[in-house]
Amino acid sequence: MNSLPPASKKLDALADPRPVIIQAGQHHLLDGRSCQACGHAIALQLPLCPRCRGPVEPAQFGPRGVIWALTVVHVPARPDDKVPYTLAYVDLDQGPRLLASVAPTDATVEVGSSVALTALSALGDPTVEVAP
Amino acid sequence: MTVSIWGVGTSMFGRQPARLPAQLAWDAIQEALEDAAVDGVDAAYVGTVFGAPGVAQRALSGVGITGIPIITVENACASGTTAFHEAHAAIAAGRYERVLALGIEQMSTLFDGPITPETTDSEQASGLLLPALYALSASRYMADYGMTLSDLAQVAVKNSRHGSLNPRAQRRRAVTEEEILSSRPIAEPLTLFQCAGLSDAAAAAVLGHERRDDRDVAIRASALKSGLAWDQASKHVWGFDVVADTSAIAYAQAGLGPDDIDVVELHDAFTIGELVTAEALGLAAPGQGASLVRSGEASLGGRRPINPSGGLLSRGHPLGATGLAQIAEITWQLRGEAGPRQVQGARTGLVETMGGGASGIDGNGCVVTILGG
Ligand SMILES: [Zn+2]
Repeated sequence: MNSLPPASKKLDALADPRPVIIQAGQHHLLDGRSCQACGHAIALQLPLCPRCRGPVEPAQFGPRGVIWALTVVHVPARPDDKVPYTLAYVDLDQGPRLLASVAPTDATVEVGSSVALTALSALGDPTVEVAP
Repeated sequence: MTVSIWGVGTSMFGRQPARLPAQLAWDAIQEALEDAAVDGVDAAYVGTVFGAPGVAQRALSGVGITGIPIITVENACASGTTAFHEAHAAIAAGRYERVLALGIEQMSTLFDGPITPETTDSEQASGLLLPALYALSASRYMADYGMTLSDLAQVAVKNSRHGSLNPRAQRRRAVTEEEILSSRPIAEPLTLFQCAGLSDAAAAAVLGHERRDDRDVAIRASALKSGLAWDQASKHVWGFDVVADTSAIAYAQAGLGPDDIDVVELHDAFTIGELVTAEALGLAAPGQGASLVRSGEASLGGRRPINPSGGLLSRGHPLGATGLAQIAEITWQLRGEAGPRQVQGARTGLVETMGGGASGIDGNGCVVTILGG
């Protein structure tokens, strides 16, 4: 809505910094990292563990998790955002905390709700749906 | 050797697109130099987030401050207090006699509403802006502690009442809980009146060694930290731990604790921020921040007022200028120069500023400063 993109940025040429979601059979999983030293689960594909600087290895997490916090956003962050939209921190089972879009639903969504990763949103955001 | 604040100054706060950033800075610099009774400084540390390259030199040269080291720093919302922290360190180390700390930010010419996402940040690229980040904390507080919408709104009620007494604030009208809760939703549960306004301003302080001037305010402690990793292993909501850790350093430096503080300016960019921060500073137990507001303890006239200036919620939040505006307010309070919003008998004050925006960590930077005493 209100963006004056910095003139120095070529918006169509940017690398995507968001967590990587992959499809594995029926499921969608977060393709992150696990620390080989302390076992910490990491949402992003970082070169070292952000907790202990230990070496990391590829690890997949999900699809299920629990909503740690959520908010319904009424002011679009990006020009293509359709408001309102729901964002949540989701703690994936034995996995990292992931910022995800919550797919529109008629079900009640609240802190503690069980959710599962699903296909990326139209804008390419990691997305969860209320678990059946 | 003790380092003191010799003088402070600010511009007006609000949307001022017709004024150049340098013009905003001139108001703050000239007031601070006059207040300090000096006609120059030996170095300048300047905090800004969106300032154009050279914004500091353009501002300083316009008022005849040239030929000195000028260092520009960016630390999100804590940029101004980071400049202050570094100015303090430089004097304490004996590098300079008199240093200007300056914060400048002009936002109304860049943004209409919220700041636009930084597209290289993983969470901002997913549509998470700071109002939503704070809203997520509020969501968690409501679930964990039974915090209510009214608890949140009362922060804005208090700070708007304080802000109505601050002639330089952007919002100078006391608002009711009903008005706050019925204002436009931004990121639930936060509504428009629970978010600091987009604002343009500059603020400044002149620092030097202790001198025989009873208007000088001693800097008892200054601490700066960036956040540790923030993720599923974190025990608290975003930003709590970095404020707690930074304040622990500051309290230890000053040899003081939360009970020794008479007046506080803290980072209430959003209502929930004041509650979480008050707890992280040890002013209330976790989950009990709202009781400070409800009981009147945090109000002017209460035991320990929080944000007597009206806070960011009233003053507005020109990122780089905010921290030094907080420093200016506490300086005025400790000198007894705060007029109708004076905290009676205030001897020791605390300033806390919190900057965020890089996801995965518990804050880009937090500064806690203890003044006076
Ligand atoms: Zn590790």
